[in-house]
Amino acid sequence: MGELKVMKPLHVNPLKLSQPMGATLAFLGIKNCMPLMHGAQGCASFTKVVFTRHFNDPITIQTTAVNDITAVIDGGEKGISEAIANITQKVTPELVGLFTTGLTETKGDDIKGACALLKEKQKIVYVHTPDFEGGLESGWALSVQGIIEQLIEPSVECNKDKVLLIPNVNLSAIEVEKIKESLELFDFEVYALPDLSDSLDGHLGVKQGALSSGGISVEAIKKLGDTGHVITVGRSVKKCGELFKAKHTQSQHHHFDTLTGLVACDDFYKTLLTCKGWSKPPASIQRWRKRLQDTLLDTHFALGKAKVIIADEPDNAYAMAKALREVGAHVEAIIAQRSEVQELFTCNVSVGDFEEVEKILPKMDMLISNFHGERLAHTYHKALLLRGFPNYESVGVGLRHNILYEGSCTFLCEVNNRLHKN
Amino acid sequence: MINKKLIKDLLNESACSHNKDKKSSCDKPKPGATSGGCAFEGAQISLFPYADAAHLVHGPDTCLGASWETRATLTSYEGENNTPLGYCTNVTTQDIIFGGDKKLAEAIAYIVEHKKPKAVFVYETCVTAMIGDNIDFTCKEARKRFGIPIVPVHSPGFVGGKNLGSRLAGEAVLDALVGTREPKEIHPFGINLIGDYNVTGDMWQYTPILERIGIKVVATLSGDGRIEAVQTAHTAKLNVIVCAKSLITLCRKMQERYNIPYVSVSFYGKRDTSNAIRSIVNAFGDEAMSKRAEKIILEEEAKLEERLLPYREILKDKKAILNTGGNKSWSIASALQDIGIEVVATSIRKATEEDIAIAKTYVPILMKVPANEQAKLIDEHNIDILLAGGRSLYTALKKKVAFVDVNQEKKVSYGAYGGLENLAIDVCAALANPVFKLAGKVAPWEN
Ligand code: SF4
Repeated sequence: MGELKVMKPLHVNPLKLSQPMGATLAFLGIKNCMPLMHGAQGCASFTKVVFTRHFNDPITIQTTAVNDITAVIDGGEKGISEAIANITQKVTPELVGLFTTGLTETKGDDIKGACALLKEKQKIVYVHTPDFEGGLESGWALSVQGIIEQLIEPSVECNKDKVLLIPNVNLSAIEVEKIKESLELFDFEVYALPDLSDSLDGHLGVKQGALSSGGISVEAIKKLGDTGHVITVGRSVKKCGELFKAKHTQSQHHHFDTLTGLVACDDFYKTLLTCKGWSKPPASIQRWRKRLQDTLLDTHFALGKAKVIIADEPDNAYAMAKALREVGAHVEAIIAQRSEVQELFTCNVSVGDFEEVEKILPKMDMLISNFHGERLAHTYHKALLLRGFPNYESVGVGLRHNILYEGSCTFLCEVNNRLHKN
Repeated sequence: MINKKLIKDLLNESACSHNKDKKSSCDKPKPGATSGGCAFEGAQISLFPYADAAHLVHGPDTCLGASWETRATLTSYEGENNTPLGYCTNVTTQDIIFGGDKKLAEAIAYIVEHKKPKAVFVYETCVTAMIGDNIDFTCKEARKRFGIPIVPVHSPGFVGGKNLGSRLAGEAVLDALVGTREPKEIHPFGINLIGDYNVTGDMWQYTPILERIGIKVVATLSGDGRIEAVQTAHTAKLNVIVCAKSLITLCRKMQERYNIPYVSVSFYGKRDTSNAIRSIVNAFGDEAMSKRAEKIILEEEAKLEERLLPYREILKDKKAILNTGGNKSWSIASALQDIGIEVVATSIRKATEEDIAIAKTYVPILMKVPANEQAKLIDEHNIDILLAGGRSLYTALKKKVAFVDVNQEKKVSYGAYGGLENLAIDVCAALANPVFKLAGKVAPWEN
């Protein structure tokens, strides 16, 4: 349907989160990593607060704390190397994820050069993520691209049983874990990059570490070169898969725009069956598919008459809209940033903010959005389902499971029951 | 434009005793070892509670996208409440190349037309400072065009931390608003409340009491604040700083310009609340009022004691360790003591000289490196409850003591007499909760 362009000189109640924030999450999915934001101190501080409240867990991040003087005269190397020195004085990160902000991009800092100078001292991946471009999804995706370019070692081998899963930023820790488990049922050796299922899944550690608490290890990333299949989930990370494929030509790339809903899941499992040359998936998957068929019928009555507005990051909005359309819901979507995925929507979609949401909401039954939607849903007496970043109102956001046959059931039932309660 | 001289002066403020201390928050942030928010955040915290003004952030997303609607600063304003709303010019590559002034002017026009605010604050952030947008000029033009105050706030994050930002916000208010309107009448006992942002309604715990005593709140910076009121702030007789040293510069300048003296108070805990009321009343030197105040203090304290009765039983003989920053290191300690808890130790890791001096008068043990000290102290003193930031949860679980996260965004007010009961409820709930002994339990397959 494309985009209805919103011509406004400002954002009123923004939906959008910034690229550096997406980069932060990507690096938190790598074990013993220190995300290092290259900018003035506030951006990292806001990011830390947002994700700490969202995940209810400690968030590791540092900043190069650009201040007045360096902002005017030097090219950034000094601050970066000082930051690395101060970080390594206290901890030994296996990787530093260095990414820029609007300030340091406007200054035109040479982060590549700075990293080259520090090569002997610290392993660093650098990424350009100005916050005046893109958003949460692209910040995550650019970081993954940086990691693929700069960390993975070339390999002549190709292991047909090895899978690299690249999730989009919206997938929860448990969702990543569920995809991994599903792939393991197909006898694949699976790696997720980034892997939040092992870090921001809300587990109780022994103590609060000074680095990311889990994720894929740097060692494992380096050796990803022999991966036979790379699977990307979400349009925002499609390029990551393409990049991987271009660098490791013997591998196969399978892309899925969403894994929510019957059609999407069927596509996914069909691909896996073909890869393996199997005729049927494991019994548990067959069983869940039947449960989803039943759920589609159970929920179609209420959802078929429901009018739902979704405000979220593009990939997540697309996934939910598509699943809700399968049971006949009337859906409108406002997405946080431009994305190729906007071309695929089978409902009205536009890039916008919560002011736009508020214009449409009175005509709808339900709002699906981050916690900012709470005030609106309350004002207009609408049902509300909290999804996306940030969510300060719910606990257990890392445990949410809305993908594959199983999670699609949970999703549809939850939407149905929320509507009913209202 | 950022005013470098002003920033230097603010950092060297004479009325601020902590600038001698090297480790103070006024220092430059250290790359790779910094955790605090930026000047913009400080300015935003200080000014966002003006619910009748729109707050327009001139910059790309990070500054506002992550920070709007995050603080429960309550307001009684009946028009459209701007406190939970976010306005941002969403500067893009295009604007970086061609300059953001035009977009800013359009954004201001959009807001004035659609929202009809009493004023617009325009926050300069890192990128727009870097590309050299002429925010002062744009604001001046808009002011002429729309006839309401359009106030530039020069608080790009790279100039410093939250504390400095809060000072810069104070300067913006002083320059653009204070003294620009004359009130219908001047109250003989008018005060300005400076530095209370009415988070969870803290301010409303004590303003009705002040009113009963005969004191009128002329204006606030900025809890439940109004633009028209702050424009008349120069007619108050006293500035009352509530737990916010960052705004001392503003008060000193108001003393110089308008001859308004200031007092610094805290409304945490029973004793401090009573003392705060006395300091305010004493500043007026009116005998009848002092008498009235004493009577009301007695009444309020008695009422509070009655309500605390059921909790006192549970809280007596309970020992606590407090590990938090700034003035909370003593203000919360004092409140805890008022509900009958023995506070064995408090952290002074991030406190200023002044805070340390005050903390000494409340708590026997001051922890310099609480992360290393608190576990040992819990054992040595048989501590029942640890009140600290999330990081310390692990210590509490290991030691199997109750835990309260004091740095979390609070949901209810702990302020003044009324809030003390909320604190007692929360502490009692934590003490009674078995989860702190259970959550850290060793798995049956481990020993
Ligand atoms: S440091 Fe600069 S860019 Fe970052 S949040 Fe603060 S003002 Fe905005």
